[in-house]
Amino acid sequence: MGIFSAITLFQASLVLYLVAALAALVFIKRHKLSNIVSNGLCILASLFGLISSLMHILSGEEKIVLGTFKSAIPYVTLNITIDKLSAFFVLILSILVLSVSVYSIGYVSHYYGKRNVGLLNFLYSTFILSMIFVMTAGNTVFFFIVWEAMSLISYFLVVFESEKEENQRAGTLYIIMTHVGTAFLLIAFMIMFSYTKSFDMFGSSAMIPIFAKNIMFILFLIGFGTKAGVIPLHIWLPYAHPAASSNISALMSGIMIKTAIYGMIRFMLVYLNIQQTWWGILILVIGATSAVLGVAYALMEHNIKRLLAFHSIENIGIILIGLGVSFIAFAQKNEPLGALALTASLFHSFNHTLFKGGLFLGAGSIQYSTHTMDIEELGGLIKKMPITALLMLSFSLAISAIVPFNGFVSEWLTYQSLFINIQPNQAGVNIASILAVAALGLAGALAVACFVKLFGISFLGTPRSNHASQAKEVPSTMNIGMGILAMFCLAAGLFPMIFIKVIDNVVMSMGTQSIMGNLQGGFLIAYYPLSVSGNSISPIGILTLIISVIFGLLVIIRIIGGKYVERKYGTWDCGFETLNSRMQYSATGFSKPLRIVLRILYRPGREIKLEEGVSPYFPNSIRYKVSTEPIFEKYLYVPILNITQKFSQKVKFSVQTGNVHTYLLYIFLAVLALMLYNRLA
Amino acid sequence: MKDYLDVLSMLILFSSLVLMANKRITSCIKTFRLQSALIAVAAGIMGFKSLYEEGTFDILVVCLIIIALKVIYIPSLLNKASANVEYKVEKNFFLNIPILILVCCALVVFSYFSISTLEGINGGQINVQVVNSVAIVLIGMFFMISRKRAIGQVVGFLVIENGLFVTAMFSTHGMPFIVDMGVFIDLITAVLIMGLMVFRINEKFESIDINKLNNLRG
Amino acid sequence: MINVIYILVQIMVIILVAPLVNGIINKVKAFTQKRKGAPLLQMYFDLYKLLKKNAVVSEVSSWIFKATPYIVFSTALAVALLVPVTTLIVPTGFPGDIIMLVYVLALGRFFMTLAGLDTGSTFGGMGSSREVMISALLEPSLLVAVFTVGLVSKSTSVYKMMEAMKNADVPLAQPVLIMVFFAILIIIIAETSRIPVDDPATHLELTMVHEAMILEYSGRHLALMELGAAIKQLVFITLLVNVFIPLDQYIGMTGISAVIISLLVYLVKVILVSILIAVAEVSTVKFRLFSVPNLAAFSFILSFLGFLQYSVFGR
Repeated sequence: MGIFSAITLFQASLVLYLVAALAALVFIKRHKLSNIVSNGLCILASLFGLISSLMHILSGEEKIVLGTFKSAIPYVTLNITIDKLSAFFVLILSILVLSVSVYSIGYVSHYYGKRNVGLLNFLYSTFILSMIFVMTAGNTVFFFIVWEAMSLISYFLVVFESEKEENQRAGTLYIIMTHVGTAFLLIAFMIMFSYTKSFDMFGSSAMIPIFAKNIMFILFLIGFGTKAGVIPLHIWLPYAHPAASSNISALMSGIMIKTAIYGMIRFMLVYLNIQQTWWGILILVIGATSAVLGVAYALMEHNIKRLLAFHSIENIGIILIGLGVSFIAFAQKNEPLGALALTASLFHSFNHTLFKGGLFLGAGSIQYSTHTMDIEELGGLIKKMPITALLMLSFSLAISAIVPFNGFVSEWLTYQSLFINIQPNQAGVNIASILAVAALGLAGALAVACFVKLFGISFLGTPRSNHASQAKEVPSTMNIGMGILAMFCLAAGLFPMIFIKVIDNVVMSMGTQSIMGNLQGGFLIAYYPLSVSGNSISPIGILTLIISVIFGLLVIIRIIGGKYVERKYGTWDCGFETLNSRMQYSATGFSKPLRIVLRILYRPGREIKLEEGVSPYFPNSIRYKVSTEPIFEKYLYVPILNITQKFSQKVKFSVQTGNVHTYLLYIFLAVLALMLYNRLA
Repeated sequence: MKDYLDVLSMLILFSSLVLMANKRITSCIKTFRLQSALIAVAAGIMGFKSLYEEGTFDILVVCLIIIALKVIYIPSLLNKASANVEYKVEKNFFLNIPILILVCCALVVFSYFSISTLEGINGGQINVQVVNSVAIVLIGMFFMISRKRAIGQVVGFLVIENGLFVTAMFSTHGMPFIVDMGVFIDLITAVLIMGLMVFRINEKFESIDINKLNNLRG
Repeated sequence: MINVIYILVQIMVIILVAPLVNGIINKVKAFTQKRKGAPLLQMYFDLYKLLKKNAVVSEVSSWIFKATPYIVFSTALAVALLVPVTTLIVPTGFPGDIIMLVYVLALGRFFMTLAGLDTGSTFGGMGSSREVMISALLEPSLLVAVFTVGLVSKSTSVYKMMEAMKNADVPLAQPVLIMVFFAILIIIIAETSRIPVDDPATHLELTMVHEAMILEYSGRHLALMELGAAIKQLVFITLLVNVFIPLDQYIGMTGISAVIISLLVYLVKVILVSILIAVAEVSTVKFRLFSVPNLAAFSFILSFLGFLQYSVFGR
């Protein structure tokens, strides 16, 4: 194999990440040098990773076994196996890491002298390394080890600014929830071992009986669902993602959630070989619920990062809708539909990484220049940070699934797969599918509301506080990093066939046929439709139409109306002399109609405190406080916690008596029980 | 012709949904009148068909009775009853209207699921008309539950009766005459009594709010 | 080259007919109020006058304010080319998909709501927040209705839907189509900002939604926004008439006489639907903002029941 084969490039990228981590530690005293060196090495490593994974996907081989390291402990072998599914997720990760590393060179500079930059970069590189290992692990023991390592490293990253109390609480909640999920995974792996006597993930699951497969499905769903943030296991996400610094949040929300999706596809689809329809329907329902509830809760937030974190829940819901349809199709042995839905789901994962990563990076830019994350204090930033504003606008358009960006193409594919899923004589699946369509439409429209609020109130209008009025444009590396992601978004939106062909190779490798027959499209630049069984769209065609219409308009209006004369004046103020920034709409006010309409979800509470002045109609001050109830925490988790606590109190008093004789009795009984088990088993 | 009957059954279901979404008494009564008119049209179509094919008159007579009673007489009775009551718009609901409408949605799905396994529904394919009609009965019952005032209850009861009649008519395309007359006489008695009660209640007490019946507890 | 001619013909028809719909609606409303009302061609005069005037732009606003009228107009026109108006020959080379139609209009709506927030005025913010609420509530119903019609015609492209409906003998004869027809009628009333959802002739802040977002516009920008809204209205009406009541059998044939006859039939259908919308507007009042969810839920249940009737019951 030549020096530029996929294997050597991949190994080179792994080594470079390791070197980056060590370099960050070596230069721990000199912040600027450590930052630039380690991020630069990460950029190089991610480039190698990108090229190698792309080469592997497009090549003919099934999988590459990179290495098997046996150790002295029985059953613990470290096995790295890259097949096309792993290579796809490594590809997504590499693109994101490339942009985030470029961004970090500029962003981390505001930590110079204040915090331990070397430690941050060390944790950053090892975090990326652990995620790569999760995606390429070859047997379940190794998978489990690196899964735990990934959770631990991300915990350290979340509590990096540990003097703030809310960060500590966020970290604690995160580590507890993720360990609960990992416990479920452990049980599932144990069941797998007890039937197949091996830890190999790529083996066959034919020996496992049906009821055990069902139980394993539920366990995997809960375990991976906790990491992905599906409703109702999502409560850690809105606390953890805002607590980390912005480049880490971009990684967490962009890729760490996708490792859960990778786990679901790897274990449920490939390993367990779906046979039941109800698996798919369950995932479809969970996905639809997460999509609607995620964006509904995102609407009510006015901390930018919490809003984006809740929004990730919505996009996970959309990915799960596609996954659910593909599970239903595979269970019914309908391979073309299954391949189409899986393609839609994988493409949406790819797109989500791009635009959600970009949005978090943009939030980081806002924080860098205005030192606040609260939308209510921003405003008018488009004049002070024009490039950042343009990039944030393109990411907002992409996430609201608007032509011509990439979110639209993947949502369109999801709609088409739901459409094809509705066939006569299966009433339950049909009703679930149409309700998923309604949920997807509602989520899309609410996402538009959410991002109009985010972009409109942060960037447009007049500044609402001193922070915002003194903002300056951010260093150019940050904009370049975001620009890379924006370019990918636009490219994936205008020329989706290239990306879908790559995904198609991945899907084919999982044993299904290619969907290229159903999915025609030319490769010309000029006119480029993407069609699925006769329904076709052409984003670039529409873009061309729109641009040509605009040109035609400019010409015609110039002819009819003469030259454009513009007069600048103040905004219409109904005769009051000065409009100040407090008279604009605030974020809370913007989302009020939806808060009232959806009050079942939010149960909003309202508090008004008036301090009367000269007369009741002219108060000295008014305090208005509106709050929404955290329903899942209050009605689901707190009762469970209370019950667990009460139970453990009772058990505590009867089991731990403090008496030495009781403890000796326990040891004696344990020895007797083991000898009895040995006799009976 | 089956198409037209399907369309009519769908329009009758549509009118019961419109009934659900209404807040004013007079519109409720007008919608009830519209629903009865549609039922009369359906009965008329079936009556003419049976007249040409078999020469029997009974369905046509039933159609005329429906027009006389439910389209003309009973709504005017209800209008007179509601003219003396002090409220015209229902202001407080247990659940708000969008949720009521979504529950009606679920009721239609439920009526499909519960009927789909019955034997003998006009051959293999599910008979749309029967499912729609059973759904009308369920919506009528739900209407009775969701309204707080007495006139809403009366209209709900009338809708249930409409629904039962339509179910019988669509599933057998004909109707034993005696049974139907019996039901009609029952109905008139019930409405007259309820109308009188509403009048009397309004004269003797201050309101016809059913919640106040809770005062009788214990 | 035939394609280019068809594209131009379709653009001309749409741009010229769109203000006429507004004129008809206003005239019918005036007649029912015993007034003479403005002339039928008033909107053409208004647009011409506006194009020649200067624009007054707020100093608080940014490039988004000036770009939005162009984006709104061009998305509306691009969508108009995806919908069959006179013939079934697809002018753009790919049969337009109806989901794409919904999302291209969403692009226009996104920028329009941003422009409302751009000027830093309270009216704009209020219009934007109400507009996103109304459109969010109606979107599930629109998608379910569109999917149902797509299922009946086995495709989500508007041209194929029209073809499939043309082959049925009696228009609107199936229960599913009646339900979906009414659902889409309610959606049209909401999307085109007509009473009972939004009053197009008011400037009181209690009642404005669409007017509030375009309050700051003047001159050619205002002309583009108004014409864009009129074109969007015409696109929805065209969708309704051409998919549900494709009475003209000449569609699909080429030749000048066939095109002219189908154009005349189309105009008659559009005039009838405009009169229907005007009558609906006159006979009711504008709802409270928080009564719009009732209307949206009603529209949703109509489209959902239409779906049930078709796919589950098989009719």
